[in-house]
Amino acid sequence: MTATPVLETRGLGRRFGGLKAVDDVSFSVPEGQVLGVIGPNGAGKSTFINLVTGHIRPTSGQVLIEGRDLTGAKPWSIAHAGVSRTFQIVKPFRGMSVRENVAVGILYGRKATSRMSQALEQADEVLAEVGLSRLGDRAPGGLSVADARRLEFAKALALRPRLLLLDEVMAGLRHSEIEPSLELIKSLKERGLTIIVVEHVMKAILAISDQVLVLHQGKVLTAGEPRSVLSDPRVIEAYLGQRYVQRREEGRS
Amino acid sequence: MSSEARTEDAEAIERAATGRSAREPAWRRWLPFGLLLLGVLVMLGLQSQLYSGQERTVSAIFMFVALAQGWNIIGGFTGYASFGQVVFFGIGGYFTAVAMSHWGFNFWVSLVVSGLVSAAFGALIGLPLLRLKGHYFAIATLGVAEGMREVVTNVPQLTGGGAGISVPTVGKDATTHYLGNDGFYLLYLLVAALSVLVSILVARNKFGFALRAIHQDEDAAAAMGVNTTRAKVSAFALSGLVTGLVGSTYAFQQVTIFPERLFDVDITVLMVVMVVIGGSGTVLGPLLGAVALQFLSEYLRRNFTEVHTFILGAIIIAAVVLLPQGAVNYVREARQSGEWSLLANVRRYRL
Amino acid sequence: MSQFLQATIYGLLQGGLLALIAVGFSLVWGVMNVVNLAHGSFVILGAYVGWKLNSAMGLDPFLGMLVAAVVLFAVGYVLQRWLINLVINGPIFITLLLTFGLDLLIVQGMNIVFSADYRSINTSYAGDSLALGSVRVPVGRLLAFVIALVVTFALVALVNRTRTGLSIMATGMDRGAARLMGIRARHAYALTFAIAAALAGMAGTMVGTVGTFNPAAAGGYTLLSFVIAVLGGLGNMYGALVGGLLIGLVEAWGGQYLPGTWVNALAFAVLVLVLVFRPSGLVGRAYYAARQEV
Repeated sequence: MTATPVLETRGLGRRFGGLKAVDDVSFSVPEGQVLGVIGPNGAGKSTFINLVTGHIRPTSGQVLIEGRDLTGAKPWSIAHAGVSRTFQIVKPFRGMSVRENVAVGILYGRKATSRMSQALEQADEVLAEVGLSRLGDRAPGGLSVADARRLEFAKALALRPRLLLLDEVMAGLRHSEIEPSLELIKSLKERGLTIIVVEHVMKAILAISDQVLVLHQGKVLTAGEPRSVLSDPRVIEAYLGQRYVQRREEGRS
Repeated sequence: MSSEARTEDAEAIERAATGRSAREPAWRRWLPFGLLLLGVLVMLGLQSQLYSGQERTVSAIFMFVALAQGWNIIGGFTGYASFGQVVFFGIGGYFTAVAMSHWGFNFWVSLVVSGLVSAAFGALIGLPLLRLKGHYFAIATLGVAEGMREVVTNVPQLTGGGAGISVPTVGKDATTHYLGNDGFYLLYLLVAALSVLVSILVARNKFGFALRAIHQDEDAAAAMGVNTTRAKVSAFALSGLVTGLVGSTYAFQQVTIFPERLFDVDITVLMVVMVVIGGSGTVLGPLLGAVALQFLSEYLRRNFTEVHTFILGAIIIAAVVLLPQGAVNYVREARQSGEWSLLANVRRYRL
Repeated sequence: MSQFLQATIYGLLQGGLLALIAVGFSLVWGVMNVVNLAHGSFVILGAYVGWKLNSAMGLDPFLGMLVAAVVLFAVGYVLQRWLINLVINGPIFITLLLTFGLDLLIVQGMNIVFSADYRSINTSYAGDSLALGSVRVPVGRLLAFVIALVVTFALVALVNRTRTGLSIMATGMDRGAARLMGIRARHAYALTFAIAAALAGMAGTMVGTVGTFNPAAAGGYTLLSFVIAVLGGLGNMYGALVGGLLIGLVEAWGGQYLPGTWVNALAFAVLVLVLVFRPSGLVGRAYYAARQEV
């Protein structure tokens, strides 16, 4: 018996004028899985996330969330359907405190509260989950990169999502900061969240993904177990070019 | 995580669980309403101390307070700077004038309906226009206001066109007894108080929170479940309602109105100046800005009649350069950071 | 039919002049994201410079316009470099307010110095007309049209082919990157604004020769500049030309065939529709759509 996948895309595509940023991407993510999405720059990873979350309308294909066709739905409808995301370039609400930033999601998310005081308290709970409790009253402007990324996490978690899309959350982090982020993602997985992690940092992908999807020039290049995907010559060629693969082969023989 | 952080988190969870965190003491929540009530009572008491000329001046202050608060809802809280806000003023005024003179409505019904019509118009044009950002939105709303003025000028059968239209105030056609100086003082006070009340309510509850989020990062707000279209359109309609009520009152007071006055772009600019000088996105800011600007304008008009507009222009420039965030925000930030220097303030936005 | 042709010719001639006025406004908006509400006052200021030179020294306005251009260039540079640059990083309504205050200042200043009387600059030849079949082409308007076109094309060449022009465009597209490459952004902005003011002033003198003017006319030119800039696409100079000609035609035909001032309502409806459906303008792509600011 197959359960409905949390996310399924069928032939998802988006063109900008003559350019196909995302081209015929079809795959599905079962509940509880962590899917890593990799691909060289320009592969369409961010566009892909924006298509799923409703920030950009697809020009072809479908997005199904828990079986419901939500293709082209507005970002808030997608949020209410249980999908939340982080932004690659963090987008905090600058004039509000860290706590208030999270409270927005609690007030307007899937299981919305209407009372400000309740929302602020629940925001504190979420901040505790990501380890930002001590920064609750601060303005987001002065946060370090690592803390700012945590705030993005907290804002996404405030929605109590079923599916979480992480857009390059490891970018720019020092080695010492990557470990705690990985721990956080693992703990979220243990709670039953389905997670899609778009990343460049391969160590992170290897550490947490159950499956890996590779995008190249907007299309799906391959998908499968992390180790086998990462040693697939086509994937290496996509990142490093054909010459590198040839030299590698020559080196081997 | 360090053990220190872990203890803090545990404390936070415990606080949340037991509900002990008192976010805001009860008296602070009622303070703005209390102050508003106090202000209204003071203004009521003041009335008997003023002679007619002063009464009219203070009525004008009330009018501008309401206009500033109305603009602040869409321009200050939501961050969509409407440069055509006067269109609601004109629609409110003209609807009242037409309703009273052509359809025999009495003023009070006209007032309410004018407000609703303005709000509806706001919702109608808000849907397409609020998809635009920044300058585009500002110019588009300006275009709508100017266009509306032209439309009103060119349908004289209904609106009297360029020759104006008069509200019947005497004789058998008069549906409502003219309010006179005293009556208009009270009416403008009521409208101003209403506008401040709306502003307080918006600022303090969930809706205002959404507007602030939209202002600061619309994409992030949408991703967090805020229906940004509905929020923006509601804010615009609400600002239209407040502005329309002022326009309606103005039309009755002036008796005869003309398109160039009721749709005058200078009125929008005054709204913006008052809010910016006072502090946009706050409740107190537009209030202070309106009062300050009206006093200033009156003073200049009386003492420097020929050059008062010239000096006003210079003052606007100075205010915008020295205090771009407005007085209220400047004071708030200075208290937090300890940085009071105006010169430092000038460096905020400069290239 | 000849009425239609006459209106068309007038429309095109006026349109060329409007294009010259608007192209600077559009450039400033496109490069610096500044909507200069005082732009129309620069036009009228130029008209007064030309008028004063003509009445005091008998200087032909088509030479006087060069003086007006220089004067307005200096005024524009100073204003941008040391005033507008102070608030340029703030929210847009701050710069809108600043330029509105400037507009008040300049228009009222002109009222005080020159009074609100209508003026015009008369030349011996501007009133003569060439006959083109049944259509009359006034010499003054034709001259203004030709000059406007030449100057607009010169501007395009300046911006696209000289180092100065490229530094302006670069600053407009990515200020941070431009500065990292050694371009002085404050200076680039001031130059842009100065050029826009100079063109407006030059056009203003020509406005004075083909019709009458007074300080109150400033607002109308600002409004027309908006519409043309939006139609043509911000920062798109050829677009401003096309937009100007189009608006000139619309005004001429509208004035001919529509009752009352419906033509103005039409112009505003066009403005709003273009903004809603094609904000990058009728002509060309969105030049400055992806704006990076540092």
